[in-house]
Amino acid sequence: MRARATTRYAALFGASVLALTGCFAGPPRAPVADVGAEPEFSGTLSVLTKFAGDPLSPYFEDLAAAYERQHPGVEVELIQETDQSIKDKAKTLTASNALPDIYFTWTGNWAENFIRGGRAADLTEVIGPGTTWGKTFSKSSLSAFAHQGKYYGIPLYNNGKFMGYNKAAFSDAGVEVPATFDELIDSCPDLREAGYEPITFGNKDGWPALHYLQQLFAYNVPAAVREADNHPETATFEDPGYLTALRQFKTLVDSCTDTRGGTNGVLYTSAQEAFARGKAAMYYQEILEFDSTTSGGSLKPKDLGIIPLPAPRGAKGDPKVIEGAPEGYVVNARSPRAALAVDFMKFVTGPKNAATLSSPPYGQPSTVVGAVTPNTSSKAVFEGIKKVNGAPGLVGWLDMVTAPEVADAWLAGGEALISGGMSPEKVLESVRRASESAR
Amino acid sequence: MLVRTMCRRALGLAWVIPALVMLAVFVYLPLVQNFGFSTLTWDIYSGDQEYVGLENYRRLFDDPVFWSSFANNLWYAVLSIVFQVFGALLLAALVESVRRERWQRALRAVYFIPAAISLTVAGLLFYFVYEPNIGLLNHVLDAIGLREFAQPWLGQESTAMFAVIAMSQWQGFGYCTLLFAVAIQRIPAELYEAAALDGVGPVRRFFQVTLPLVREMTGLMVMVTVSGAFQVFNEVMVMTSGGPNNSTQVLGTWLYRNGFVRNDFGSAAAIGTVLFVITLTIAMAQLWITRRKRVEW
Repeated sequence: MRARATTRYAALFGASVLALTGCFAGPPRAPVADVGAEPEFSGTLSVLTKFAGDPLSPYFEDLAAAYERQHPGVEVELIQETDQSIKDKAKTLTASNALPDIYFTWTGNWAENFIRGGRAADLTEVIGPGTTWGKTFSKSSLSAFAHQGKYYGIPLYNNGKFMGYNKAAFSDAGVEVPATFDELIDSCPDLREAGYEPITFGNKDGWPALHYLQQLFAYNVPAAVREADNHPETATFEDPGYLTALRQFKTLVDSCTDTRGGTNGVLYTSAQEAFARGKAAMYYQEILEFDSTTSGGSLKPKDLGIIPLPAPRGAKGDPKVIEGAPEGYVVNARSPRAALAVDFMKFVTGPKNAATLSSPPYGQPSTVVGAVTPNTSSKAVFEGIKKVNGAPGLVGWLDMVTAPEVADAWLAGGEALISGGMSPEKVLESVRRASESAR
Repeated sequence: MLVRTMCRRALGLAWVIPALVMLAVFVYLPLVQNFGFSTLTWDIYSGDQEYVGLENYRRLFDDPVFWSSFANNLWYAVLSIVFQVFGALLLAALVESVRRERWQRALRAVYFIPAAISLTVAGLLFYFVYEPNIGLLNHVLDAIGLREFAQPWLGQESTAMFAVIAMSQWQGFGYCTLLFAVAIQRIPAELYEAAALDGVGPVRRFFQVTLPLVREMTGLMVMVTVSGAFQVFNEVMVMTSGGPNNSTQVLGTWLYRNGFVRNDFGSAAAIGTVLFVITLTIAMAQLWITRRKRVEW
């Protein structure tokens, strides 16, 4: 009797499994968004931003309130997340087919996933290079969200990674600002002697190490090789420049940070804090951080200098390329309010709001042409954007340009390299394996 | 008579149906769904799914990080039994042997305070205790002349997992102590008095009176602790996110990383199923132990 009941329950369980595995068949086939239609100013518009927390959260809150005042029938519902939490949020909403009307995206593999999966609306007719709206953006920022000749993204701000240095610290130590990677390493003992941590660095989250690595890869590995290695189908990771870059990174960590092998135990924000308090001479940071590091700490804006991470002499890659990428927003391809979403984003990227975004306390250099000027932005942000715009090319974030399994191998490898748990050769081997399994 | 009985049963059933529906929808259906997902490769962006049978499980069992995560859960379980069960039992016996009730109450409160702190807050707190630059632990070691023992506790593979486990023990220790204290209070005082009259010392009293009479609670605590050790997630996420180099991954965080970092939701679901089987086995064992004959006095 009991055995029969067990069989019955097992059969029921098995049938449920088989039935349920067929229940999740991707995005619902709603009508494709008509982005060029006349917007209907009513209903709730949902927006997933990456601006949670101070000082950024008021930016979208103020814009939403202003837009609602202009269009009383519209309610803007903001879902504000941090740089870290938005990764989970976006994937959860994607998996449950609950993406909002407008949502944040990075460039590279991250954006392409949404585009290939039919989750991002084709905005070519409203934001393409020849359109009125498209002409307001810098060409490079627009093309960063292009895929197979179509334009999917609304670039909001540009970003690049620079070695920020404390001018007073260099002056105290009597050290020249380094022009090459060797000079950077050589400057560290003198800076330490003068009472500063030469380079403050926190790698608890893993990705800060990838920022160093990607810039060093760009210096040491030819662009065409790197591009091929970003895609598991064509990747080999055979170029000797990778090992050179990994060794250079290890040298930098061991010679120039006070935490050396323990750097994985330090938060990125703790490192930022150490630089802002004038305890450290250098800190590798994004343009988006310039205004944070000079607000409220002992480091004054006039004391902040920026240089690209110094390139090694005679490196085989491109010594002029800068790591960075614009970040922006896409419109949900299945949104019934796509035209309203486009209108809202036109409002967000209008000249006045673009200038506000580029100014302190936000300090996010807008991609709108003319928004970043010496009058609207801090000196460092303006200088950083000028360098980014003047660079012959940008290299995207390592964990965004490649397949997720490969990015994860780089994350673990970077941590292991810092702690001494893996040699550069072993790190590269683990990345090769991950790339092969991602084919 | 029969009709009345049937009506009464039907009425009883009507009362429990809402709870059964809630259970089915929110507990059992997701379990079945999760097993379904574990047999698929699933692109969350396009929604494309492919049935791969048990391939995700095969890949999982070939994955060295899965096994190191499992080993970390085992370390958690073993060390939790040592500290949170046997350590807490010893401490509870000591606290209960204090004669003044006011002191007893004060001590219980002191030991229980960490349990009142959320795991996330405790994790953040200990992150700053372990921080290599400004951390309290290294400063204390420095102050007492043990500078050579200062470490980047969470920053290196050799110490990170144990640093996280130590925080968990600190957080859970007081709660277990309190439960044991309650169990010890239920032991009739006459037994201790009789033992004292027979000239039995405190150590023998502990082994011959206390230990046998809190056996039931000890069994329960072992099960709860082991089960909890396999469900660890928060403290690892807050303190190390599974790093450095995956050295502090446990099954819960490895599940998360497979799903949300590597976009491999099939493997994540497979880990979920393995976790379910482990915790279900522990729960069954717990049920079996608690159904055994109680100690009577």
